[in-house]
This record gives sequence, C-alpha cells and structure tokens, in this order.
Amino acid sequence: MSGMKPLLEVSMGIDAFSSAWAHCDRISSYVARMVSHNRADPLLYANLLSSALNELLEIAFAHHGPDGDISCRVSRSGASDIIELSLPCDDAALGFYTGAAEQLKRADLAEAYQSALFSPGAGDPHLGLLEIAVDYKARISILPEGGKRVLVAATVELEGAVS
Amino acid sequence: MSVDPTYSVTFNENNQEFSIAGKLRPQNASDIKPLEAALSKALAGVRGTFYLNVKRLARINNVAFRVIASLMAQMVEKRVDLKIEVVTSSVLGWSTRKFLPLAQRIPNIKVVEYDKEFYPGQSFLEEGGFIPILRNQTRMTWRHERNLLPRHGLTPGASIADICCGIGDFAVLAHKEFKPSRLLALDHSRTSLDYARKVAAEFGVTDIEYVYGDAAELMIDDNSFDFVTCRHSLQVFDRPELILRELYRICKPGGRVYITNEKNSHCLGEPRGESIQWTYNEVAKLWAHFNMDIEFGPKSGRYMMDAGFDDIRIDTFMVTNRDGDPQDFADMIQAWENVYAGQMSRDRGDTPEFIAKFRQGFQDHIHAALNPKGYAGWPIWAASGRKPS
Ligand SMILES: C[S@@+](CC[C@H](N)C(=O)[O-])C[C@H]1O[C@@H](n2cnc3c(N)ncnc32)[C@H](O)[C@@H]1O
Repeated sequence: MSGMKPLLEVSMGIDAFSSAWAHCDRISSYVARMVSHNRADPLLYANLLSSALNELLEIAFAHHGPDGDISCRVSRSGASDIIELSLPCDDAALGFYTGAAEQLKRADLAEAYQSALFSPGAGDPHLGLLEIAVDYKARISILPEGGKRVLVAATVELEGAVS
Repeated sequence: MSVDPTYSVTFNENNQEFSIAGKLRPQNASDIKPLEAALSKALAGVRGTFYLNVKRLARINNVAFRVIASLMAQMVEKRVDLKIEVVTSSVLGWSTRKFLPLAQRIPNIKVVEYDKEFYPGQSFLEEGGFIPILRNQTRMTWRHERNLLPRHGLTPGASIADICCGIGDFAVLAHKEFKPSRLLALDHSRTSLDYARKVAAEFGVTDIEYVYGDAAELMIDDNSFDFVTCRHSLQVFDRPELILRELYRICKPGGRVYITNEKNSHCLGEPRGESIQWTYNEVAKLWAHFNMDIEFGPKSGRYMMDAGFDDIRIDTFMVTNRDGDPQDFADMIQAWENVYAGQMSRDRGDTPEFIAKFRQGFQDHIHAALNPKGYAGWPIWAASGRKPS
C-alpha cells in the first residue's frame, strides 16, 4: 500500500450506527467535508464524495451482522481516494456481499445500473454499488475478513470528474 | 411521515415549475409521501412543459430518486401531451449525471443543466479576455480598499466569503492583510478559478477555498460568514437583488456585506475630456444593451436598504493615474477597450465609424493617464451594510 495516506477514520458500534438512519447522512457529510478541504474545489469534491459514501453507508445500514464495530476510513493516493468500510457480517450479510461482488464483475455494468434505477417494486439491492461503479467510475473490491467481517473498498478519482 | 423535513418543495403554477431544495435521503419511500403527493398533484394540473427544478437539491439518495423517477415516468406515459424538463445545476457535480438516465430512458423527459448562458454578460466575462482587466483593476483598487475595509467592519481573524471572486487577487490580498479564520472565494468561471488557484499557489497560500458556484444559488448555509464581499459584480447581473439576497443569507447576523461597483459614465480625464466622456457614456449604454448596469455604484445604498441591511456605509474613491504607476492605469483602459470596443461592440452590431470614435475615447484616456500633466480617473462606490442580529 505504498503511497497511500490514511486521512481519516471514523468507527462506532454497529448497533449504535444502525439505530438511526440519519447516521448515514451525517457520517458521509462529515467525512466528505473533512477530507475535501485540500482538494482544488472543496465544496464540489465534498458533494461528490458525500454522495458516493452515503450510498455505501446506506448499504452497510441494510446489510450487516450483529456484533462489532463499523469503521469508515478514507485514504489518499494522489488524485485517488480510497474509501474503506469494514463491518461485521453474519451469513445473510455475507451472502449479500458475495452476490454484490458477482454483480460487479458483469460486463454490462452500465445497463445493469440503468435497469436497477428503473426497476419496479422494491428495487435492486445492488443499485447503490452499481451506481458508484458506473457513475463514479469506482473500482470496488469486496473482501471477506476472516468469515465474520467484510471489507468494502471503493477507489474513486473525483477531481475533474465533472466537465 | 416527514417529521424532520430536510428538504422543501415549492410549486410555481405560473411557470409550471416544481422546485425541490435541501437534502433528500429518506430511509423508505414512505418517508417522502408529502413530496410525492405534492409532485403528483402539480404534475396532474399542468399542460405542456413541466419543470422539475433541482438546482438547489444538495443531496439525493436512490430511494428518493426512484420515487421521483417512477412518478414522472408514469405521468408522461399516461399523458402524451406532457413534457418534463429537469433543471439541474453543474455546481453540485453529481446532479446532471444522476438525472440524465431519465432522459435517456424516457421520451418526453429532458435534462437541462441550467448554468450555461444564464447571465447576460457571461460570454464576455468568462472568456479569458477579462482576466487582464481584473488583474490590473484589483491591484489599483486595493490601495484604497485596504484602508477602507476596516471602516466597513472587516477585522483580523474574521471569516470571509468573496463571492464572484474572479481571478482571486482580492482574496489573496485580504488573506495577507487580515489573516481571516476562513476564506472562501467563489466564482462561476472555471478559467478564472484555475487561474486563481495558480496565483494562490505562487504566493504559497494554501488555505483559501476556491469554489465553483453560482452566486444566485449559493450552496452555502445560512449565517456562515462574518464578512461577505462581492466586488464589481452586482453590476454584471440583470437582477442584482437576487445576488444580494444570497449575500445577506450567508452573512452572520451582526456581520456585514461589502460591495463595490462602478459608475463608468463618470470616468474622466484631462486633456481631451470631451472625447473621454463621450466614450464612457457610450460604455454605459453598451452594458445596458446587454442588460448589465455599469452605472450601479450610486444605487448601492438603495439596493442594500431594500435587501434588509441596516447601518449602511458608503464610500466613494477615485482610482487615478497618480496613485501608482500610470502605466497600470493605461493598461487597464487598454484592456477595457479591447473587450468593450471589440467583442461587445461587434456583437451589438456597431458600425466601423462608431467603433473608431468609441476607441478614440479610450486612447484619449490612456493619453491623459500617461501625460505628465494629465489626470485620469475611475470612480468606485464601496458600500456595506449590517445584517440585523
Ligand atoms: C467583473 S468580474 C469581478 C471579479 C472580481 N470580484 C474582481 O473584482 O476582480 C465579475 C465576476 O463575476 C463572475 N460571475 C458572473 N456570474 C456569476 C455567477 N452567477 N456566480 C458566480 N460568479 C459569477 C464572473 O465569472 C466574473 O469573475
């Protein structure tokens, strides 16, 4: 991991985190603001990062195991930021993340994203990840950590991502 | 159930525009039932084109996006006469990209990024041609403003926002002189901001936040700054009161908003005073033709009162060829001539005879500036008001 600078890490008990939906918004806004100040356009950068991070946190909110901490870390390597979410998993959650990892290997990601956006009914649970992969051009890796946790890492290059 | 609405919606029936502002990150679709109901009611009542304005929608998650998207998709499917235009802003970065799939997927829905060509002089001012003008101007006005600013309430350590910062010279100077606790400088020209960042880097200044944004729709919280400046810019908008309202909003109660503006027809010089005066009267008309008011200066007080400020202070100062190097003054006039008698005059369709006479006044002003016995002046109005606490 040479050249990677950890900028910020926030962690809290998963129970506390999942006790209020507003935590997703608050953590994503806070983290985005803190790590964006030395980007060329801090507000624009924070807007983009907050949007991507919030989707990840909403996914973690819905899919996680019962015990342990959730931690959210942002590291920087030049123009790239690496967002890492580490969280406890039970079998159901692990199943979800394994399925998501499969989805993200599809060749037709862009179409998958579009159809998930407009799918009828409750919606595709992988929508958020697809969006980050397609719209934010994130490289996403999902790795089980010792059977009881999962590490979701998204590498994004948001500077100059808008015309 | 929206106990804690983090968003607001308004519907303007006259222009069939439904606006959503704030933050839309509900957990469940049912959390934004009131919004869904309002949107569907609004949609049902319109004919022709319906506008969904999301320019000030700072955040949206997929839960909310899907509610809005599916409602609009259903509506245009049912009603072939209905067209929907989603108006996004480039300022947020994500918003156009997020809504674009709607247009790709559904005929009769269009996504328009609004801040292209949205104020009258944009094409003149955002082109590189204006950069040399701004550089010279700020260098010359700073001599005066540096002494005036404390009188208008700027104290060391204050938090400052410079809205419509241009190429950011003022921000760098204010940073050096007043050591603000925070300094945000915002403009709507990416060229200018790139330039501004370079200038700051050259001076080794790293803590100015240069931000891309729209002064009419600032993505900045209410009551954020002690001192809000907007220099030489109210005069480029056709509706300056809208900008002033935003400056007021982001200023802390008890803080002050400081604006500077010109009255170009009062530029003067000797010798050749008449030719000079003629040309600057024409400058005022030329700007008015493009819906900008380069005569704004003396109107500052009225605008500030109407915007709700109190304790209004107004100063007038004259930048002259005698302040410093007369060549600086001459360079500024040359830059004016290049833009005013160049692209602007051409775009208005002026005759070659007119343009020749128009140029002559600028050349006479330059002559007055460089003439050891001459005098050349450019008057500025600096006004500030306090936001009542
Ligand atoms: C005459 S210049 C003044 C710049 C600077 N304050 C100075 O004194 O040098 C006007 C500035 O307003 C900016 N501007 C115009 N419309 C804007 C908008 N809607 N939002 C933010 N800035 C805008 C232009 O890009 C330009 O830099």
